[in-house]
Amino acid sequence: MSDRLKIFLLLAPVLTILIVMFLGGLAIGLLRSFNYMPIIGLTKPNIDAYVSIFTSKEFYVSFGLSLYIAVTSTVISSILAIGSALLLRRNFIGRSITQFLFQLNLTVPHLVGAIGILYLFSQSGSFARLAAEWEMISKPSEFPAMVFDPYAIGIILQYVWKEVPFIGVIVLANMQSLGENFEGVARSLGASRWQAFRFVLLPLIFPGVLSASVISFAFTFGAFEIPAILGANYPAALPVLAYRKYTDVDLAARPEAMAMAVMIALLSSVMIFFYVRYSRRRIRN
Amino acid sequence: MTHVSIKELTKVYPGSLEPSLDRLSLEIESGELTALLGPSGCGKTTTMKMIAGLLSTTSGDVQFDGRSILNDKPEQRGVVMVFQNYLLFPYMSVADNIGFGLKMRKVGKSEIDRRVKEILELVKLPDLGDRRPKELSGGQQQRVALARALIVSPNVLLLDEPLSNLDAHLRLEMRDLIRGIQQDLGITTIFVTHDQEEAVVLADKVALILDCKLKQYDTPEAFYRRPIDEATARFFGGQNFVPGMSKSGYFECALGRLKLPSDALLGSATLTFRPENVKIGANSVGENVVQSKLIDKIYLGTQTRLKFIVGDTKIDVMANPSDVQELVVGDACPITLSADSLWVLAK
Repeated sequence: MSDRLKIFLLLAPVLTILIVMFLGGLAIGLLRSFNYMPIIGLTKPNIDAYVSIFTSKEFYVSFGLSLYIAVTSTVISSILAIGSALLLRRNFIGRSITQFLFQLNLTVPHLVGAIGILYLFSQSGSFARLAAEWEMISKPSEFPAMVFDPYAIGIILQYVWKEVPFIGVIVLANMQSLGENFEGVARSLGASRWQAFRFVLLPLIFPGVLSASVISFAFTFGAFEIPAILGANYPAALPVLAYRKYTDVDLAARPEAMAMAVMIALLSSVMIFFYVRYSRRRIRN
Repeated sequence: MTHVSIKELTKVYPGSLEPSLDRLSLEIESGELTALLGPSGCGKTTTMKMIAGLLSTTSGDVQFDGRSILNDKPEQRGVVMVFQNYLLFPYMSVADNIGFGLKMRKVGKSEIDRRVKEILELVKLPDLGDRRPKELSGGQQQRVALARALIVSPNVLLLDEPLSNLDAHLRLEMRDLIRGIQQDLGITTIFVTHDQEEAVVLADKVALILDCKLKQYDTPEAFYRRPIDEATARFFGGQNFVPGMSKSGYFECALGRLKLPSDALLGSATLTFRPENVKIGANSVGENVVQSKLIDKIYLGTQTRLKFIVGDTKIDVMANPSDVQELVVGDACPITLSADSLWVLAK
């Protein structure tokens, strides 16, 4: 048996899953987004679903909300992750345990985190009750709306909680492999602590921050479960809107759901494309 | 021009019981080029980082012109450190790397451009300002790192193993360049090296650090002629150590009774002499002549290494190849250890 065939056969199980489940699903979704659904008699592909979503205000509002959630949580997470990495790379007593705790919630599923946010931050949650107990507010319902709110604070909180260690671990590894000598050179050449960070460390860790945050952005833009649990009814994040259309009793709404899913996949793909291109260029250089 | 005083400088890293540098004291004159010499891990780079303010001290003091600088921030000390692996900022051009220190001092762009151009001439890289560091050879990167340090006119320049990453040809060129620039600008310079030859050819004075402690601080010549102990002599290529008794003017040992210089130590001691100072053959007065037998001869190109034996004592000799062409292993041969080439070490 030739080596090539052997490799192909060894990879066959995973390739089958990838092709059938992922690409197959994507192909069906794409076909349905073009109104091709022979089971309900739609056999002539058209772009009606796309026209319909692009002319509906609801789509733009949801798209905007998803974009806002993804950008805000990624930016906040990146800043906090860099700050955390700067602290964690220092030598201090209990560093390894702190690092362990910092990374711990990487292993906690998003859903569990979301339920935690719900218990803590909702108007009937622990913080609201504590605030009322300590007479900071007269009753728990006066607690500021941080869950199911139009500004998606709960969703962003959940993503930040989850993404800070993810980006932080990558940035920390990056900083540790660089060492502190680059900043040492900058300091001895006359840079203040801030200047050494701004002009030397930040440009050096930027590729790492960028790659981690692109992954974080693509995930937060396309994820369904957190906005579904913590988001307001209106406006709904794009994946939630797509899901609602998909489960609509009217089967005719499905192509629109698929068109939205295609738009989410398209934007994620564009992000990943730029990420891969950028990282390849970095590796080549 | 800055006088540097290092007083009892000590560093114990957190979690370590042994000091990485143990009570180092040095007085470095203004404009002097001093080498911190020692094997790796003896605390040389630690010393540099403490002087530069990149590492805290455990105890001791560093003073510039009599003033302690330990409470000054690194950017306020006027000390620039050039690291062994150059650490040029990879995302900046050569010119931007060199101009970095001036930019941090908020010097105007046209002034930066002018001075970068000047300093590029000084380090003999006039046309490379637009290149990226990765497009340069090791020697060129070293020059850029040096230019980046010199452009801010430091009071004290610290060089970490400045020649160790370069090949033999470039080492000579860089050595001349560093020495030349240092002499022209008169910057007090301290450099770290593990290579005694590098220390000798570059430095005005050498501080030998062994086991994290200062062994000897002296002129390069003194390390060859008057090493403080056997470890120091061995670090500088000393091979011949003969135990015996030093009496007034003479040394009695397995080689016989040898005349000593007048300032030699007295008592039970070790006699040392450098392989290159042993003369093959007897001198006219017959003083300090030892009868020996040649047991090994290796041709090294510019020199020949010979090994003689006297009783049980082996003697290493370096000679000019043409002087020892006729000698064959097994030959009996007198050798002369002239009094002024002998040095007595305390036991």
